[in-house]
Amino acid sequence: MAEITLDKVVKKYGAASVVHGIDLEIAHEEFVVLVGPSGCGKSTTLRMIAGLEDISGGIVRIGDRVVNDLPPRKRNISMVFQNYALYPHMNVRENLGFGLKIAGESPDNISKRVDEAAAVLGLTPLLDRTPAELSGGQRQRVAMGRAIVRRPEVFLFDEPLSNLDAKLRGQMRAEIKKLHQKVRTTVVYVTHDQVEAMTLADRIVVMRDGRIEQVGTPMEAFNHPRTTFVATFIGSPPMNLLPGVIAGGAVRLADGTTVPVPDRLKPHARDGRKVTLGIRPDDISPVGHGLSQDGPGAEVDLTVELAEPLGMESLIYTRLAGQEVLAKLYGPRIVQPGEQLTFRMALDRAHLFDAETGQSLRLD
Amino acid sequence: MSLAVESQTSKQLKRAGLTALTFLLMVVMCVPGLWVVLSAFRPNGEILAKPPIWIPEAPTFDNFRKIFGLGTDQVAIPVGSYFMNSLIIAMTSTVIALAIGMAGGYAFARYRFRGKGSIFLGLMLFRAVPGIALSLPVFIIWSKLGIIDTKIGLIIVYVSLNVPFTIWLIDGFFRQIPLSLSEAAQVDGCTRWQAFWKIEFPLARSGIAAAGVFAFLTSWNEFALASQLTRSTSSKTLPVGLLDFTAQFTIDWAGMCAMAVIIIIPALILTFLVQKHLIAGLTFGGVKG
Amino acid sequence: MPFWRRESATPFLLLTPALLTMAFVVIIPLVFSMYTSFTGYRLVKPDSLYDWVGFRNYARILSDWEFWVPFGRTVLFLTVVLNVEFLLGLGIALLINRITWGQRTLRTIMMFPMMFSPILVGFQFKFLFNDNIGIVNNALQSLGLSDGAIAWLVDAKLAFFSIAIAEIWMSTSVFAILLLAGLFAMPRDPLEAAKVDGCNAWQTFRHITLPFLMPFAYIAMAIRSLDVARAYDIVTVMTDGGPAGRTEILWTLIARVGYDNSRMGMANAMAYVSTILSILFTWYFYRKLVAARRYMGGAQ
Ligand SMILES: Nc1ncnc2c1ncn2[C@@H]1O[C@H](COP(=O)(O)OP(=O)(O)O)[C@@H](O)[C@H]1O
Ligand SMILES: [Mg+2]
Repeated sequence: MAEITLDKVVKKYGAASVVHGIDLEIAHEEFVVLVGPSGCGKSTTLRMIAGLEDISGGIVRIGDRVVNDLPPRKRNISMVFQNYALYPHMNVRENLGFGLKIAGESPDNISKRVDEAAAVLGLTPLLDRTPAELSGGQRQRVAMGRAIVRRPEVFLFDEPLSNLDAKLRGQMRAEIKKLHQKVRTTVVYVTHDQVEAMTLADRIVVMRDGRIEQVGTPMEAFNHPRTTFVATFIGSPPMNLLPGVIAGGAVRLADGTTVPVPDRLKPHARDGRKVTLGIRPDDISPVGHGLSQDGPGAEVDLTVELAEPLGMESLIYTRLAGQEVLAKLYGPRIVQPGEQLTFRMALDRAHLFDAETGQSLRLD
Repeated sequence: MSLAVESQTSKQLKRAGLTALTFLLMVVMCVPGLWVVLSAFRPNGEILAKPPIWIPEAPTFDNFRKIFGLGTDQVAIPVGSYFMNSLIIAMTSTVIALAIGMAGGYAFARYRFRGKGSIFLGLMLFRAVPGIALSLPVFIIWSKLGIIDTKIGLIIVYVSLNVPFTIWLIDGFFRQIPLSLSEAAQVDGCTRWQAFWKIEFPLARSGIAAAGVFAFLTSWNEFALASQLTRSTSSKTLPVGLLDFTAQFTIDWAGMCAMAVIIIIPALILTFLVQKHLIAGLTFGGVKG
Repeated sequence: MPFWRRESATPFLLLTPALLTMAFVVIIPLVFSMYTSFTGYRLVKPDSLYDWVGFRNYARILSDWEFWVPFGRTVLFLTVVLNVEFLLGLGIALLINRITWGQRTLRTIMMFPMMFSPILVGFQFKFLFNDNIGIVNNALQSLGLSDGAIAWLVDAKLAFFSIAIAEIWMSTSVFAILLLAGLFAMPRDPLEAAKVDGCNAWQTFRHITLPFLMPFAYIAMAIRSLDVARAYDIVTVMTDGGPAGRTEILWTLIARVGYDNSRMGMANAMAYVSTILSILFTWYFYRKLVAARRYMGGAQ
């Protein structure tokens, strides 16, 4: 059993603290993705789990062992690095077998397990090449092979796909997912790409400035962001955020436009409270071109500033209450800049956040 | 039309000019050494001949035989002993400097620690002390310690002479190896020590060899300290021995040239073997911080 | 945990052997040398080591032309050879960068003088410049450019010139090779951008190539500054400071005063002056190198 527990884990470089007391429980065989903007402390957290970075405070457990003072080799983990870290002076076979050799496995056993792992990843024809003779995708596969061949309890990935081009990244994403279904181990995966996080994770952990912002399934994070940060970070294009004040059961925006507060949020909408209204572009559409026509809504007349046709849908840049707002038009209709359209905001998925703390009102 | 022709000829002229310049450069680089080497194979009479004889008419190994005391007509200078002294001193000091330099270079390449920049600079600045200036106090102290005029005394000096530069070079080579390789090896089950010997060392090997050659040649070629710290046949090195020839009333040019060739040859061979890595080490260690 | 078991102690443990050897062979002797420079120590009178004379040695050398003339000559010599080496090295690097064949061979050949023993270089040029049998005079005479034998190493000015030639021959390669490495490493984009922006060849060189090469020039300078005192070897074998002290430089003077005249106290005072000079020189170029490096890092 390899669950991972982080208990108030802190990382300091000298006086500067970069991870401020993280609590996280990762279940056995769970696929957890740490996601957040660059520099938020994801790698640092992962490397503390790996034992590559000293832990300045708190406790890290793998299984039932406290691993704070164990070196990486005693943690029964394997890791895939961003730049793959393949050993340049060894061929693929030796790269894959290195860990087993260090562990003192017999040559027969090593070659058997290397062949198995190579077969799983389609590396068999490449076994005698050196890393320099491989393409980016192949190197990536070798790095994964090196991780699985040792059958560790935990896989750690640090941005493993960020050096690949977009197409290959999609492919490898699917392979990682399949791999996890085949060899069920606990996985901690770091990325700054929210699409990767959404597609791979059982649960995602959104991080910001060395703190955890939200933990939950991808759909929870998407549907119920706890903060404006999560709301804009998860989902693409990002959620529109409009500042306003609650007045008479509606949000009054800067220019006086009012948007009714949906019933489920009414209990939190005290009059006079300063809030931020959050609506995803998918929920603002020209009338008749939206996803849903019923449910609570509000209509506004807006001018199109720019439209990006994407085929079956178009992304529309417009302006509401002095702020740029993104909207989506579903259907093969061409929109011209300057065109005046009536947009419908579908409010059953709208969010309200406290203007000061950025916390969702739902959490009051 | 005529314009095109003109630019064509001017291009050719330029290329011819470049070739001529390069040729001239090579002549200036090579002729001095070549002349010494040629002279080493001439009898003394031919060296003194006027007008000069450009190509040796009767090439001979006599000069070499003479300085090693093999012929009938010997030189009183024990070149054989000097050669062995040089070899022993240079090799020993190189091996020790490499071991020390590898540890130090690794520390600089792989760890952050307080005073890192100042320690590095300090090492370089101490290396800058002129040999002859350093020789004065070392001469006095070594005399008191009883290691003046011994091989060990010179070896100790050469080790410290070579350590700073060896660290500079090896630091550069280790830095070229991504840290994640060592980390991957540690995750794969190695201790840091194993990761070093199985991954980082093999990858830095040619660079370390280059640093070793540089250290070897520094010791092999050193004169200022050796000339003051060694006096007897049992510890004098080749560069110091070369001066024995000029101390005599008549300069034995042929013998000196033969001895020069003996000093040159290891330098030529070793330089040739490692020049590529040496250049990489010098520039990388310096530029990439 | 004891100090030496901690991770933070590892780099210091790794550096201990290096620091110990440096302490034993350089720092302790330098401290001792400092002490000696305040005594009237003479090699022939061991007791004089405890003969404290305060600043007398320094006062003497600082007021003595016998010191200042070689000192000035050394500074002049270094200024001339280093500038010539830099310019020649730059020229050679640009030349080799331009030609399309045999670049690596040429680079290897250039590496050789760098690896020669200075004593050997000195001897080699002593041989070439010999007034009687030297190839230089012989060549000049055969070509009819001179009728008599030119006394290269006997005439004071010519001797100085000959020594400078030997030094330049030995060390120009340091500059040429490092600047060539710089040229090889130079990215093409800025050059092309400059061309598109309308720079002519000279402007491109002046504003793009040269600034990019400067860190490499500083590395070369820093490396050279570590061994400028090798000129001692060359002078010793070529003229030994002669004729009549006209090619005496700081380092040959130190050797003469310390060993030949056995006035160790005085020699140590001089040695201190030369040590400080060398250290300042190295420090200056090291600082330049660090600054240039930071600025290059910013550009990338
Ligand atoms: N060795 C270090 N010394 C000081 N600060 C560091 C060090 N390594 C990383 N940091 C800082 O820690 C923060 C988190 O880094 P990291 O975990 O690599 O972020 P990311 O989320 O992009 O993986 C960054 O702000 C970074 O600047
Ligand atoms: Mg990272």
